[in-house]
Amino acid sequence: MQLSYSRRVATGGVLAALTFAGVAALTATPAYAATSEVSAIHGIPGTPVDVYLNGAKTLDNFAPGEVAGPLSLAAGAYDIALTKPGEPVADAILTVDDVEVLGGTNVSMAAHLDASGQPKITSFVNDTSKVDAGKSRLIARHIAAAPAMDVRAGGTSVFTNLTNSNEAKADMEAGTIKADAVLAGTETVTIGPADLELSEGTATIVYAFGSADAGTLEVVAQTITGLHSTPAGVPSGSGGLADTGASTWWYLLAGAGALLLVGGGTRVATTRRSNR
Amino acid sequence: MTVRNRGALAAMAAGATALTVAAVVAVAARPAADVGADEVAALADTAPSAAGSRSPVPVRKGELPAGAEIVPPVGLRIPAIGVTATVNAVGTNPQTNEFEVPPSVDQVGWYRYGPGLAAPAGSVVIAGHVDSSTQGEGAFFRLRELDQGDRLTVTGSDGQDRAYRVIAREEYQKTKIPLERYFARDGDQRLTLITCGGPFDADTRRYRDNLVVTAVPAGPAAAP
Repeated sequence: MQLSYSRRVATGGVLAALTFAGVAALTATPAYAATSEVSAIHGIPGTPVDVYLNGAKTLDNFAPGEVAGPLSLAAGAYDIALTKPGEPVADAILTVDDVEVLGGTNVSMAAHLDASGQPKITSFVNDTSKVDAGKSRLIARHIAAAPAMDVRAGGTSVFTNLTNSNEAKADMEAGTIKADAVLAGTETVTIGPADLELSEGTATIVYAFGSADAGTLEVVAQTITGLHSTPAGVPSGSGGLADTGASTWWYLLAGAGALLLVGGGTRVATTRRSNR
Repeated sequence: MTVRNRGALAAMAAGATALTVAAVVAVAARPAADVGADEVAALADTAPSAAGSRSPVPVRKGELPAGAEIVPPVGLRIPAIGVTATVNAVGTNPQTNEFEVPPSVDQVGWYRYGPGLAAPAGSVVIAGHVDSSTQGEGAFFRLRELDQGDRLTVTGSDGQDRAYRVIAREEYQKTKIPLERYFARDGDQRLTLITCGGPFDADTRRYRDNLVVTAVPAGPAAAP
């Protein structure tokens, strides 16, 4: 009896341990199954394409200057192929294998020209952290066959010496800016100027694409919303006229009342007893 | 009956009176209970519906973002509590990062970073003073008297009146208020009015709580 009891306890303990392990494994699963939000940017001028992901056609007749997505993709490595519209994947004009997509990230994949004019794919991880109340995030990406550029807002440099396949970013006051791009270190405007509406709580990603030599430089923009934060608080009263808490005089009144009641009652009781 | 006894009885009567007065004051000053909290949570819910998750990948021209049409509120009327207030567009205080409620307590402030009246989703936030140490009662002094079903009217910068119906009144300690729910840009269209409430700390000159009233569109405004 004693033995079977302890065995039962032991079995229970093992079961509990197994259950616990099972719960831990279940709750840990999402870390392995994380997905990412992936957008595609077409920045190769004059070349509409079909896009294949792991051999499956994902985008049909995707045109330069267009933005596709976001698409929820499981984390992992992807083979990407671009074909001329309607052509078989075997005749792809650009293939990039094993493009790594990290779980839980927001990614923009840009098909574009490198500095020397060769097509390539660059994967950018988008900063989707919250911006402070009143702010907007501007991200500039250079994906053009062009020299280094400075990006200016209202004539003042905000990003300098931005080169192909790289980005620069800043959180700034929300509002409209007049933006342009110049050859790095010069006043020679290569793109713009254009009015850029930077909405509060959003990230605006502007890509410079095309080819400087061919005179096809232009921009494509992508916006990510929902990055706003709340104000730190709403202070809206300093007078105390609407105070709903008990104030000092209330405690005095209640205390005095209780003392009088108890004191008087005791007096009455003792008087009655002595009168008896 | 002895004189001593009479004095003691008088003391008891006075004591009972004082306690009664204190009790009445406590009951009268007690904050009204929250109403409609579940409705507010439901409005903020943005969980997608189960159907249609296998849609094709959306593709659009990557044009520079253009400013969306925003209709700021410019006037607020709440007949039930005698409020007629000018609404100013405000942001946050650069030092404290707090909501910049207009300093003039008879005016209220619309959070200009959040949705305007024409926004298809989210919470239009208007905050106003309950009072001030120098100016006395504020526009939202009687906000706590609002109840489910009360009507209010917001005038937009486009001159159009929009009617709202109160669905909830909640009170939170400022350290615990779920601000992201009230400053949401998604979820159902709603109007959120915020002021201060609860016990007042005379040393810091701050109220402990925020009082939040939520209203939803109630169709075309009635003629004034």
